[in-house]
Amino acid sequence: MEYYCTTVLFYYRTNYLTPMFYPSIATTQSALDAGEVTTVQLVERYLASIGDQRYLNIYVEVFADEALDRAREQDGRRRAGAKLGRLAGIVLSIKDVICYAGHGVSAGSAMLEDFVSPYTATALQRLLDEDAIVIGRTNCDEFAMGSGNENSHYGPTRNAADPARVPGGSSGGAAVSVQANTCLMAVGSSTGGSVRQPASFCGLYGFKPTYGRISRYGLIAYGSSFDQIGLLARDPTDIALGLELMAGADNFDATAPNRPVPLYSKATSEGPKRIAYFADILKNEKVDGVIRQTTESALKELRDAGHTVEPVTFDYFDYVVPTYYVLTTAEASSNLSRYDGMRYGYRSAEAETLEETYKQSRSEGFGTEVQRRILLGTFVLSSGYYDAFYGKAQRARRVIQEQLRGILADYDFILMPVSPSQPWPVGEQIDDPVANYLADIYTVLANLAGLPAIAIPAGNDPEDHLPVGYQLMADLWQEEELLSFVCRTKK
Amino acid sequence: MSYETTIGLETHVQLATVSKAFCGDRNEFGAEPNRHISEVSLGYPGTLPFLNERQVEFAVRLGLALGSKINRRSTFDRKNYFYADLPKGYQITQDDRPICVGGALPIRTASQQYAAGAPTVRVQLHHIHMEEDAGKSIHAAGEAFSRVDLNRAGTPLLEVVTEPDLHSAEEVDAFMSGMRQLVRWLEISDGNMEEGSLRCDVNVSVRKQGQAELGTRCEIKNMNSMRFARRAIAYEVDRQIALLEKGESVMQQTRQFDPQSGTTSALREKENAHDYRYFPDPDLPPVVLTDAYVQTLRDTLGILPWEAYTELLALGLDPDDAALIGEEKHHYLSFVRYARASPAVPELAKLWVNRVLPFLQQRELGLEPEQFATLQTLIADGEVSAANAASRLLTDLLENPGDVRQRAVDLGLIQNTDTDFLKHIAREVIGANPDKANAYRKGKKGLIGFFMGEVMKKSGGSAEPKETQALLRGLLEETT
Repeated sequence: MEYYCTTVLFYYRTNYLTPMFYPSIATTQSALDAGEVTTVQLVERYLASIGDQRYLNIYVEVFADEALDRAREQDGRRRAGAKLGRLAGIVLSIKDVICYAGHGVSAGSAMLEDFVSPYTATALQRLLDEDAIVIGRTNCDEFAMGSGNENSHYGPTRNAADPARVPGGSSGGAAVSVQANTCLMAVGSSTGGSVRQPASFCGLYGFKPTYGRISRYGLIAYGSSFDQIGLLARDPTDIALGLELMAGADNFDATAPNRPVPLYSKATSEGPKRIAYFADILKNEKVDGVIRQTTESALKELRDAGHTVEPVTFDYFDYVVPTYYVLTTAEASSNLSRYDGMRYGYRSAEAETLEETYKQSRSEGFGTEVQRRILLGTFVLSSGYYDAFYGKAQRARRVIQEQLRGILADYDFILMPVSPSQPWPVGEQIDDPVANYLADIYTVLANLAGLPAIAIPAGNDPEDHLPVGYQLMADLWQEEELLSFVCRTKK
Repeated sequence: MSYETTIGLETHVQLATVSKAFCGDRNEFGAEPNRHISEVSLGYPGTLPFLNERQVEFAVRLGLALGSKINRRSTFDRKNYFYADLPKGYQITQDDRPICVGGALPIRTASQQYAAGAPTVRVQLHHIHMEEDAGKSIHAAGEAFSRVDLNRAGTPLLEVVTEPDLHSAEEVDAFMSGMRQLVRWLEISDGNMEEGSLRCDVNVSVRKQGQAELGTRCEIKNMNSMRFARRAIAYEVDRQIALLEKGESVMQQTRQFDPQSGTTSALREKENAHDYRYFPDPDLPPVVLTDAYVQTLRDTLGILPWEAYTELLALGLDPDDAALIGEEKHHYLSFVRYARASPAVPELAKLWVNRVLPFLQQRELGLEPEQFATLQTLIADGEVSAANAASRLLTDLLENPGDVRQRAVDLGLIQNTDTDFLKHIAREVIGANPDKANAYRKGKKGLIGFFMGEVMKKSGGSAEPKETQALLRGLLEETT
């Protein structure tokens, strides 16, 4: 077995033979069905890949033994001809904000460094029920607050395309886990772009569904009215299947409505579509040139393929980031109140009184960015400021959603960049939170309006070879349309 | 100078749902600490609230009973503060848009209750909202730490907020008693003040008679005993008047009552009040009620306590009997069933209050309305004395239901009105006690009781008293 693994890595790195990492669920499962590979072998390859790329700092914890046990058990069932789930043999990573019974989950924070969840997130349980194998939990920005994966208690994760650069965030570890072939698909979460932006920075598809499509039960909350579980993968078909299995009502999440779940994995797309874009962005000097170029060529290809591609205007770009940060920090300030050192999590050893326990545990347990957002959120909800900030931001959110949905009443999709900038060098933006916040402008739109959106990879920058991409956004609950279109136009 | 007291109440009613407000933990008082808990009630990372629909139903029922407007769309908010017994660091409540608005509770104060036809006071309500309770912190003397019991964390509460519409401790008492009766009547809470199922915060202010605006108020927190509430209000009113008399002013404060000293003391000033940073809870969609839903609950509401009380008065009951029988819905319902068959309802009420209600504390009633009617007829016809019927016959029948008349015969309770038989005994008694007979004749008329007793004894209690007395008087006079 040892010998085999080494050979695999050798072949993989030198690309002499077919790559030993299958790019999709379909190719993986047909290889398993054909006996080309066993589940145990697959898991071993991924584990070897993890071991080989520790410098990327992808995982907070690897569930090696458990993944191998599950693989062995599935191989047994496969040999016996017993029933296998739809994700049999599929190796996933989960972001360190998704609860898995008996496993650590820390939200990238010292606050929860030793915390073990007593229960499993609904969405994850649905994947496990289909025989998904979870190989480990991935690094992320603390409590999902960040866009470079630099705000983690465990240090930054690095972009496999250029380890000097960030992978994006907050699901940075999730993105690199797929990018660096340590698993096939990653379960991440998005509050303002935390799936699409790292996916795009790492050359992957990254999808965030309609708010409420997937239960949030077991997803550690940041901004509750924004948070959604999302998926990162090389193939949009895999995302469609993953969504199909995770989506739907849950008796533990009142914000996941009882809407039928279409068979996303079977959906097809036909005929010309109407696609809108914001012409202003293409002229905006603050948007990286290669990103504008990528966006323009994506539009051109679609136009050439016979789709209607038209410019539209959106009047509220100036309000997008402020609205987003007022509302998410307000919700976060309340959501993170439970980390008080009382029932679980970090408790300061020096604290004597109740008040000291609160102050010291929270000051020592939370990182700088989390504290900044808690303070900001506390401020915008304070008596006397509520109307000026929170109340106004809520109204702005409604206006933004109305205008976007107005556009999506006339068009099937909106096409736009994921981020105005390409992956930056690790450490470069750490002292400039406002610059970081402003870079969220194009992704937070979908979260503000609750819309489904997907980042689509579009090759690499010819100069620095960093991945580039763009995103498509659809109207509420139009995942079926969106994903089938992306599968259809996949190159 | 005379002063007027104004009081507003915030009453907390703990609901008797099977599970907690937002998760499946059992909602039950008295378990060992930290038994009825789960990752949701402990506020574990990633957990979410999911509304218990019974809480909504109970809130609507209470609102309908009190004549409140039922908001077809109400919302949940978060009230943020840190405390060891508040696992999430916020309490889920309804701040902006509560489920019920307005309404009133009719009350009768103790002094009014016993005056027939006394007018009821209607205490106007501001609103009723749903919320979850916190856990319990126990600060035991001599311990360097506090204990926290989270069994109560997340249990469903309704907060009933009155207008400043009460004016005395007596009215507060009547309001709380009325609220206790109503929530038990509706079967939404056990209304047990000792266990904290019903408690209130009391807002007290005083103003000079004739002054237009209300005085500055103080809030006394967490009164869970009516005795303490009365003392706290009395103390607080005196304290505020004394301040005003000295020319000082009342500070707006939150105060607590110390039962040891009988005084209230400041917990915090208004300027140090918590900023709870209320905002809409993003985890809970608005509660939307259809007209059909509200109508169904309205249709199944049944008679309300004050309607039952009025009906009992109309049946001829004394106000105190009506209050006792009408206290609990099942007692009222059972009484009216028996009253329908009864030849004399007010007398039935007496039997009910004295004999049946105490019996019902222990056991079920095995007698049918017709059997009670027979019993009352036996009394009315003089066949069984009222005293014997109430004590011996009814006691026996309650224990062992059976044929009423036969039982009276078996117990030898059918009264003897046979004049010859009674005359014979009476003569014997008088003959055996010549001295007393003489004394009677000389004017010691009180001795009639002695002779009555003797005749009763000899007749085995079967002598009909009225008849016997007349007979004895006649015989005693006769032999003169």
